[in-house]
Amino acid sequence: MNIAVLIKMVPDTESRLEIIDGKVKEDGFKYMVNPYDEFAVEQAVQFKETVGGKVTLVSLFSDNASIDTDLRKMMAIGADETIVLRQQEYSGNKPSSNARILSETVKELNADLIMCGVQGIDYYQAATGPMIAHFLGVPHVSGVTNLELSGDKLTASRQIEGGLQIIETPTPVLITCQKDMAKVRFPALKDIMMSKRKPFDNRDVGSESGEDVQTTECSLPPARGGGVILEGESPEEKVDKLIEKLKMEAKVL
Amino acid sequence: MSTVILVGETDGRGIKDVSQQVAGVAAGMGEVIGLVIGKNVSESAMKLAAGKVVIADDERLEYYDPVKYASIVSQVVQKNDATKVLMGATTMGKDLGPRVAAELGWGYLGDCLEASSEGFVRPDFAGKVLAKSKPEGPLVASIRNNAYPIGESWAGNVENFSGDIPDSTLNTTSIEKIGAGTIELTEANIVVSGGRGLESPENYEALIRPLAATMRAAAGASRAIVDAGWVPHSHQVGQTGKTVTPDLYLAIGISGAIQHLGGMSGSKFIAAINKDPEAPIFKVADYGIVGNLFEIVPVLKTKLENL
Repeated sequence: MNIAVLIKMVPDTESRLEIIDGKVKEDGFKYMVNPYDEFAVEQAVQFKETVGGKVTLVSLFSDNASIDTDLRKMMAIGADETIVLRQQEYSGNKPSSNARILSETVKELNADLIMCGVQGIDYYQAATGPMIAHFLGVPHVSGVTNLELSGDKLTASRQIEGGLQIIETPTPVLITCQKDMAKVRFPALKDIMMSKRKPFDNRDVGSESGEDVQTTECSLPPARGGGVILEGESPEEKVDKLIEKLKMEAKVL
Repeated sequence: MSTVILVGETDGRGIKDVSQQVAGVAAGMGEVIGLVIGKNVSESAMKLAAGKVVIADDERLEYYDPVKYASIVSQVVQKNDATKVLMGATTMGKDLGPRVAAELGWGYLGDCLEASSEGFVRPDFAGKVLAKSKPEGPLVASIRNNAYPIGESWAGNVENFSGDIPDSTLNTTSIEKIGAGTIELTEANIVVSGGRGLESPENYEALIRPLAATMRAAAGASRAIVDAGWVPHSHQVGQTGKTVTPDLYLAIGISGAIQHLGGMSGSKFIAAINKDPEAPIFKVADYGIVGNLFEIVPVLKTKLENL
């Protein structure tokens, strides 16, 4: 099975978010592989180990080479090669333009299965996956918590309100992965060494004018008051104060 | 005046609240045409708060399928020269919206917190940053359940969808209900969440779920106990889980890592119960109780039951 996995490099969750002139200050950001995409890599590698084939990683990012080690780590857990599309003015906040560029490259790979995370933990639009599926002319299933392969048919469990939608689909199809899908393995030292010899292809790409909506202004959410501790001699007393507040102030009871 | 297509969803009882809220938002943006897709949805569809409602009611549309549904939305958009498509940020809306945007070649804004003719606000970095925009081109947007007033329901014109339903290779074989009767996290007015302070999965079941039931709340969780396998990921609040904005968020035994705070600090009120007075959760809590949760939660539940 020929599998393409799309990887988004996102700011590390510990990154400090600072706003200057209505824009998020990005210079200090350290980047990491989007955690949801790691589940996609792990699941893709498991399929490859069961039925054979190849796992190709495709990422779109800037010229910043500091991400290469993280992508190599994804090859250490079993992906076979990496293609990084380098775009000078890359922004993770352009799902439509980014989907167009990524779909061009994915098309060339003739993948049976295209996988990515359900969303990036930077902009949370959950948009790039379904958009790429449309540009490739294949169906997609999003937010999948369990994916099984039997023959050339896939069975996907998609998280919906109050339950799961179970969907059967032939390939080609694009799947976006939710957290429960697969437990990402720790690579062995031998695999880390091996990954350094796997193909890592940097390609320059231009910009694509998309329909993406430009953010006009960013702000931090209003600071919360917080910090009020309800004192009391006993649990009963503290709970009484809480209930009083919930009734009279918050008006939720 | 521009035409707005409002994609409404049914939930077995009628039109979902979030759809009626988005109907109210849509009314401020132009002439609203509702669209409801499904099987045996005609009766509910007529309750959608829109002057005109298009109903695509067909056996082949029983289960959500992005290929079929996106095609139907696009056809209705084109037939009516619409320039906006709005829907609730449900699991369907967040999946359908981007596919429709790609099909139409339009802009897309997902999971918006605010939407009006003045502009849109959406949460970046799990709500740690608010991003405003004022899109000028045609747009698809999914909008989160919020404090919007529900659109006024009235019997307008009803029209049956007469376009094509494309074939799709996706085949929904079943819907598995998990925790039937429980309230969905992102739709709940109150969320009761538990964390590692509970010490065991049994205590989550014994303390958090019953309290949530008493308060008619959804049950949430911190990442720590999801990773430990106590509860499924669908319960997780925070950066790699759900972002929630209920009227009350009650955090029990949760210390409040920055990734967790990002997912719930948009709540109207936050209450926290934790034994550690230094826990970061108290910095954002409107009402904090420092103490042993095993003593406090049962007292709270009993008192709430006797209100």
